[in-house]
Amino acid sequence: MKSRIFVNGASTISHQPTFGEKGFSGSITRLEKGSELLQPAYREYIDPVMLRRMSRILRMGVASAMHALQQAGVSSPSGIIVGTGLGCLQDTEKFLGNFLTLEGLIPPTAFILSTHNTVAGQISLSLGCHSYNITYTQNTVSFEMALLDGIMKLEEDGGEILVGAADEHIPFLDKLAAEWGYHDCVLTSGVSFFVLSGTASENTLAEVIDVDVFTGTRVDRKEMTDSFLARHGLGRDEVDMVLQDGRQPADDTGFDGDTVDYTGLCGLYPTASGFAFHYGADFLGSVGRDKKVLIVNELSPGNLGLILLKGVEA
Amino acid sequence: MLTDAYVTGMGVISAIGRNVGENLHALLHKQPGIAAVETGARKEAVMAGRVAFDDETLARNLGFSRFPVSRTSLLGMTAALEAWGDNRHIPGLKTGLISSTSVGGMDKSEVFYDDFLAGRQADYDVLVCHDSGTASERIAEFLGITGYVNTISTACSSGANAIMLGARLLRSGRLDRVLVGGSDALTRFTINGFESLMIYDREWTRPFDESRTGLNLGEGAAFLLMESEKSLQMTGNRPSGRVKGWGNAADAYHQTASSPEGKGATLAISEAIRTAGLTPADISYINAHGTGTPNNDLSESVALKNIFGASVPSFSSTKAFTGHTLAAAGAIEAVYSLLAIREGTIWPNLNFTEAIRDTGLVPVTEPEKCMVNTVLSNSFGFGGNNSSLVFTL
Repeated sequence: MKSRIFVNGASTISHQPTFGEKGFSGSITRLEKGSELLQPAYREYIDPVMLRRMSRILRMGVASAMHALQQAGVSSPSGIIVGTGLGCLQDTEKFLGNFLTLEGLIPPTAFILSTHNTVAGQISLSLGCHSYNITYTQNTVSFEMALLDGIMKLEEDGGEILVGAADEHIPFLDKLAAEWGYHDCVLTSGVSFFVLSGTASENTLAEVIDVDVFTGTRVDRKEMTDSFLARHGLGRDEVDMVLQDGRQPADDTGFDGDTVDYTGLCGLYPTASGFAFHYGADFLGSVGRDKKVLIVNELSPGNLGLILLKGVEA
Repeated sequence: MLTDAYVTGMGVISAIGRNVGENLHALLHKQPGIAAVETGARKEAVMAGRVAFDDETLARNLGFSRFPVSRTSLLGMTAALEAWGDNRHIPGLKTGLISSTSVGGMDKSEVFYDDFLAGRQADYDVLVCHDSGTASERIAEFLGITGYVNTISTACSSGANAIMLGARLLRSGRLDRVLVGGSDALTRFTINGFESLMIYDREWTRPFDESRTGLNLGEGAAFLLMESEKSLQMTGNRPSGRVKGWGNAADAYHQTASSPEGKGATLAISEAIRTAGLTPADISYINAHGTGTPNNDLSESVALKNIFGASVPSFSSTKAFTGHTLAAAGAIEAVYSLLAIREGTIWPNLNFTEAIRDTGLVPVTEPEKCMVNTVLSNSFGFGGNNSSLVFTL
């Protein structure tokens, strides 16, 4: 028997007032060019000695994780699962520069912090948590992969699972986007963390009904989406809100509910569907039972991510 | 009844050979693949385990011509193709691929970045290979696998975690058949990285020896084809072994170093033995992580004593053959573990002369013929990511 999956804690650091702002989905508007990341007071969430050594993505990731765990009243989760599309880019770039240009001894710090699993590792260190710990990196569906594993872990062993998405921007990405002919993209950073549990609580925002991922370029996305919904007895007209990335081909509309371009709200980064997940859960937390939110992630042409959320009783 | 993960195909490419047969021959005849490798104009050569073929040869052998492609992908395709063999895609059989890598396309990105920093003409096109997920997508595409394609990046435990995830996906019924493994190319990034940490041995690495001072890096890839019972009925394949247990635990001690009491390692090993439904006394051989760094080998030895007490089973590290292949290590050593069962042979730990004083553990140093029923394989990594697997017939 499959267990039910509830979202009992949610935290996002983005350009929008998402951090600790319940109901933000009702008030935020499209991202303006030149807007800044809204970063919380990290000292409230991270030990000052550790904080000093952390890069931006680590600060954002650890603070967001702690914040989500606090909401759910969980001190040590039974799993820490992180998805990241590009990993710790700032330290990767820094270490590349160091060994390519410096003579003699090279400082190891950037190398230590460059590996993709640093965010999940730093969370386990901050919590002193010895539980299951893993990092997925599958381009634009890295968050969906983490979420899917979180659901499997709950089915296997129960408990409370911390699932997150983290990606960081470096200026080089803008240069690369220009070289590759992508214009008018707001490339940025973002992190989101969630506490998933088989038991609902007074803090529950939403229920996760299903998640699916599909990799491969020759695929009928419309058909995939329809059969995903049909698995849960739903048609397109029964979804109350559809969150789509802004790169979605215009021909795949045909939803009756509200459609929201989530990358227009949070900017572009590989795990932006983590933001969409929080946006959807926040919306359901405000409007309550039986409403349904579908997240369709087609940020990269070769990957499709689908997430179905449902509201819970107040 | 939950299905076991049956292994019906294996593939490996490393410094000791381009396929399973060549790797087996080298292990049996104590032929290491570590040699001096040039890593750039301004640097001394380092001891490392390099695969004996350049990118062009690897691509030609695969009949592959879609460039640019990372060496990590090419190595992965070579091993994945061997594991896949002449299997076919069957409607109704959900097939996935889980790879793992720590460097992704860094072998190409570091060349780009060198040109970029120096203000030379730099080829931006190679950066399409950079991210780790793409390395796996290229392997999946090469074999015609679509649907579930995923990449794990937990540093040196990645390959073991890919096998664990594959076994869990079969058990949950989400997949019927899955290629699992890992791939990493030698890069200046990682060589300089481990040198900056002062744990890169200028000499040939000496795992579990009192005189050990560090690791030698290597490169390579390995994949297993794992099937559920349902899949076996449809393919008619005969399994050569099973992935029976797995454990994943965080050391939560330090970003790169392992705890002196081997906390995470002890948790991962005991979980793997427990989920296999076995007891420590059932383990016939341990393929250790054994990187040759002072810290890992001591911490791992302490963990082995925590679990097995005074009766630690026969164990060895094969890293003095291949070098430490990072994300591929857990997958390559899974192949060696399954070969140990198939061949009834325990692989030798090269370069051992004197036991670590604090623990006194002595590895197997000659190929040893004996009944091998159950193998424990350890993979421990940066970030405190520790994983262990149990293989049986």
